[in-house]
Amino acid sequence: MLLAGCTTVNSVENAQKDGQRKMISDQRVITDASLNRRVAIVGINSAMTPGGLLKVQVELENHTRSIQRFLYHFEWFDANGMQVNNILSANVPEQIEGKESKFIYSVAPNLNCRDFRVKFIEAD
Amino acid sequence: MKNKTFLSLMAAASPVFFTGCATDMHYVQTGDKEQIISSQINIQDYADAANAAVKELLDSGAIDKVANPPALLELSRIINNTGQQVDTDLLTKKISIALLQSGKAQTKIVDSKATGLQQENEFLNDQKSTRLPDFTLSGKIIETVDRAGSTRRTTYSFQLSLNDPKAGVQVWEGEKEIGKQGKRPAVSF
Repeated sequence: MLLAGCTTVNSVENAQKDGQRKMISDQRVITDASLNRRVAIVGINSAMTPGGLLKVQVELENHTRSIQRFLYHFEWFDANGMQVNNILSANVPEQIEGKESKFIYSVAPNLNCRDFRVKFIEAD
Repeated sequence: MKNKTFLSLMAAASPVFFTGCATDMHYVQTGDKEQIISSQINIQDYADAANAAVKELLDSGAIDKVANPPALLELSRIINNTGQQVDTDLLTKKISIALLQSGKAQTKIVDSKATGLQQENEFLNDQKSTRLPDFTLSGKIIETVDRAGSTRRTTYSFQLSLNDPKAGVQVWEGEKEIGKQGKRPAVSF
């Protein structure tokens, strides 16, 4: 009974990787240390879509043995640092199993986007 | 004297009475932590489904493969296979706005007044410039319910297809499943 909800994930992947992730350096502002301890940001990589839009992928890892639920949303900025209006900027609910590594991604809302910010908030 | 005392007491107690009339109504942001999660399809579900669809569609590059960009899109029918009365514009409008904002697509006019003016303009100028849509967007919303004891899981599948009417093929398809699970209260009112 005490172990209820503690389900962790085993995984396997190819050791010799053909694809190379273009990792980008990040700058973090952590105000919820508790959430950050449980669901940690491992790294961020970016690529371009066939249509030339910036695509960003964030790798997350659940450091706990239980499922964690959180909300996230991407904000996008143009070359002048101005936030780009995006109809789809609402929080996205997500969950991650115990000890699981997971990717979330987003595609820039238009070709003018140069920078981004991802916000995470713990779900109730 | 008794009346004076009574009035004084009433005046002193009035904030207590008036506080009872106040509500905690306040503005909220769609998808915030306070959102009410019910088994019904809600605004957050439409936002999630639209978000996933637009993200996958832009990522696929399917909409970029047109001779004269931006692509012209016509919104077709979204079939509602749920037990609820839903306004599918809550889904399609978000998608069409996002695609318009992306600069990758424009949607065909659905306003009858604008269409009439366009036809009048074509007639007066003796030209047929009406561009046929490069793509149509159609889809279906399906609801499935599973029950085990008092636990109920409802899954909504938002299925969307981008169709190329000239080639007669579907150039992109996407599906977003949104599952909700909860327990039915033992005593219902």
